[in-house]
Amino acid sequence: MLTHNEFVRVNRDGVLNRRAFIGSVAAGAASASALSFMDTVRAEADTLKKEGLSCILLFMQGGPSQFETFDPKPGASTGGPTKAIKTAVPGIEIAEGWEKVAAEMKNIALIRSMTSKEGNHQRAVFNLHTGYPPSGSVKYPSLGALVANEKFEPGFDLPSFVHVGGRGEGIGSGFLGMHFAPFAVQNPSQMPNNVLLPGGVTDKRMERRLGLLGKLERDFAEAAGKALVEDHRALVDTAANMVRSPRLKAFDISQEKDSVRDSYGRSPFGQGCLLARRLIETGVTFVEVNNSGNWDTHDDNFNRVKTLAGGVDPGFAALVADLKERGMLDRTLVIWMGEFGRTPNINGRTGRDHYPRAFNVALAGAGIKGGQVIGATDKDGRSVEKRPVSVSDLFCTFCHALKINPRKENQSNVGRPIKIVDGGEAVKELFA
Amino acid sequence: MRPWCSVRRRAVAVLAGLSLAAFATAGSQADDKKPHYPKPPSGEHAKIIPDAWKTAPTAPATAAEIDRLLAASQRAEKITPSPLTTDEQFIRRAMLDLTGRLPLPADVEEFVASKATNKRSQLIDKLLDSEAFCKHWGKYWHDVIVSRATDGRIKRGGLTRSFETWLADQVRVRRNWGEIATAMMTASGQVKYNGEGNNETAASVYLLCHSGAEAAVERAAETSRVFLGIQIQCAQCHDHPSDMWKRNQFHELTAFYSRVSDRLVRDTSAPAGQIRFLGVELVSRPRGEHQMPGQDDPKKITLTHPRFLTGETIARGSSDETRRKALADFVTSKENYWFSAAFANRVWGELMGQGFYQPVDNMGPLQQATYPEVLLSLAAHFRNSNYDIRDTYRIIMNTEAYQRQTRLGESVFDHLHFAALYPKKLSADALWESLNSVLGQMQLGQQFRPQGPGARFAGRFGLEGQFKETFEYDPSTRSDEIEGSVPQALMLMNNPQINQKVRANGDTILARILNSHSNNDDALKMLYLRTLARKPTTRELETCREHIAGVGSRGEAFEDILWSLINSTEFQTKR
Repeated sequence: MLTHNEFVRVNRDGVLNRRAFIGSVAAGAASASALSFMDTVRAEADTLKKEGLSCILLFMQGGPSQFETFDPKPGASTGGPTKAIKTAVPGIEIAEGWEKVAAEMKNIALIRSMTSKEGNHQRAVFNLHTGYPPSGSVKYPSLGALVANEKFEPGFDLPSFVHVGGRGEGIGSGFLGMHFAPFAVQNPSQMPNNVLLPGGVTDKRMERRLGLLGKLERDFAEAAGKALVEDHRALVDTAANMVRSPRLKAFDISQEKDSVRDSYGRSPFGQGCLLARRLIETGVTFVEVNNSGNWDTHDDNFNRVKTLAGGVDPGFAALVADLKERGMLDRTLVIWMGEFGRTPNINGRTGRDHYPRAFNVALAGAGIKGGQVIGATDKDGRSVEKRPVSVSDLFCTFCHALKINPRKENQSNVGRPIKIVDGGEAVKELFA
Repeated sequence: MRPWCSVRRRAVAVLAGLSLAAFATAGSQADDKKPHYPKPPSGEHAKIIPDAWKTAPTAPATAAEIDRLLAASQRAEKITPSPLTTDEQFIRRAMLDLTGRLPLPADVEEFVASKATNKRSQLIDKLLDSEAFCKHWGKYWHDVIVSRATDGRIKRGGLTRSFETWLADQVRVRRNWGEIATAMMTASGQVKYNGEGNNETAASVYLLCHSGAEAAVERAAETSRVFLGIQIQCAQCHDHPSDMWKRNQFHELTAFYSRVSDRLVRDTSAPAGQIRFLGVELVSRPRGEHQMPGQDDPKKITLTHPRFLTGETIARGSSDETRRKALADFVTSKENYWFSAAFANRVWGELMGQGFYQPVDNMGPLQQATYPEVLLSLAAHFRNSNYDIRDTYRIIMNTEAYQRQTRLGESVFDHLHFAALYPKKLSADALWESLNSVLGQMQLGQQFRPQGPGARFAGRFGLEGQFKETFEYDPSTRSDEIEGSVPQALMLMNNPQINQKVRANGDTILARILNSHSNNDDALKMLYLRTLARKPTTRELETCREHIAGVGSRGEAFEDILWSLINSTEFQTKR
């Protein structure tokens, strides 16, 4: 259908990504014919893409306190009333309130030596989602889009990047284009907006409408431009295929047993983790779960984190356990992180403020060797004492786990190629 | 390597250090397929302003003169322009461009029936004088600036709406572009999340789009991009690889913003122990110089003092007010070709679907342009009109170039050389207004429109918020790079609220059309006029008749037709 539109890159579901296309051929466009390039794209898509690797990002918006999560400092003046608990791995202790994660520690690795410079929410959220500081000019893509671009499954009829809860603060697919934009699910317990046929419209009637639309577009196509109508039609067809896809039921978590739903915790976040597992299982490449509550605990830090942890602990733990049980953990990277940590000093409102200098991240799956801790902070948690890990290092680590070349360059909107990650090195100790 | 370098072009002229003679030879490169990159001029500040600017006409231009210039260049390349639009096509295009709204069936019929020979220019004048133009213009510039904000807090309802309102107010009271740009660069004061008292200070939002340690750098980059059409930010870290900009030039520009900073406005009436913020404000600091990090060793700092791209400097240690006032003066100076050219190129690009420079904000001495000699005339006209905003729209829309039919080239990437209008996807606002015009006002979801302090988030809720978030795009994007998305297609295809309005029964517009037109052909004509602002073609009429006969139920068949029309490419395109 789209073959005569030679300048358009058609991928798995007939969707176009011109920018990616031009970007990839910019250098050799003069010599290579567009058609032979198309063949290459198709061939590449079939052989090189997904390899079954996927990623789930659990994002703790607001900046979770490292002291009350995975780097407790009981007894230190900065530690507050938070106690440490033992985990399934001797020698690793984490903060109370994370009992279920503690039990899964054999599958989870901790980085306690994260360090960055961005202490403003917007900027840090951007930084931890893209690996780059924000820029007014370069539209950096978020991790989900970067991974989806590398690993999407050809011929798959659901979006390759799904964002559950929250709105992602507007960080989408940037210069990678709409095809890798996050598909938003506001509430994991409901079907996404607009995927179900409206009342009074049966499958048969939708077919009829699509047929009529095709016929009514002919005159405009002839007058103003075939390619325009074809681009549009490709989107309509992709949307229609999604609506009719048997895989769409992956979005319906009510199909899970009550016991499974309970194990993830009945919080929006827990149910979001369950949705993430269902989506990854059905072939989605990247799911971000971003409805764990507001971790920005400038006041009443200890009580608030207790409540927040209560919502996240079961979901995170059940997700890792469930993926493991289903044999999916080896090929699914699970990331738990926020945009920064919180101050060692407890302020006058028993709160902790923003602290990018030292914070922690938890990782599981995709070759990550669980039951280990990377790096350390000093006894008061004021600074990183051992093995500092930068945001670039962390992104290189994600790439390593997902078999992505971090130095691969994507063509950007400002006309210069941008590496997936600029600088940094993977934390190789994490991998068995 | 810019991606669009790969696109075949028939003629490319480059404006670097050009004299009038160089302009004159632009056409002679007609059959050259390779872009020309002249060597950067020696000396940092050499030839940033083209020589031709000094000798540019000082009298007002006319639309006919622009057409003549264009025709000469097109003839040299043997380009045959497309035919002119019909009146039906013209009124839809002009209304979408100037007001972001569709004409109603009566508007179209009246315009087509009018015998006045100057009815098109009359319509342009009428629309330019309308309130809808001010609002539409405010939205456009709001999106140009805010879509690049690095501080997402600015998108909160109160701030974003105040800024949009402020922009619309400026054009309503007929301030010129130089004054508006100056107000944004020199703004100060508070803007509140709830919108209170923002009328005077909302210009601050322009600089408040960026905050934190890199704010000055982003503000400088945006000032250059928005007002001069020059993307100099590559030079933040190294000399620009494909332009003449040196690293220190970028940092000297940044130094103009080194003493303005932003802070949160605290609510002093909050109970003890609680911290609440009411908004953000711009404040001047008494001291501080921009620190340029070393290229190889970022810790090696060089204190950098303000110097404009064209070489002008100010006294060392000047206050924030002096710096920003000076910057605004240099930027908006009539000797500064790029200020005039950036506005002319942007408006032309928005109206024609393609700019002289593409994207519209990537200009500069070494960038490729199509027919820079025509842009020079337009820019000179804009300067000579004392930066009159409406006048720029007026002269462009009165050209034959603007009034030609739309088409694509051999591929969607082809630059049409203004031989036809390039079709452009409607903005989220225009599409939303079109939908409301066709289907009747959508339910606004009262429960989601909070009043009072919570209202700052109001824009993000309800169908309207969802719709605009789904369809929004950065208006500086090239027309051929504005992509559709699956959620967009799903929204128009399946959204229950929209589909409720596509029904043939109940109190819908479709029901009214069917009731008042018992003849199917008449009803179809009315439906087409309402959705696409034109009558159906013979083939479309036949297709619809067949559909009605096949379905059996008149109501259901018309629902299908209306659904198809709002899901069509044409409905979502300015043509």
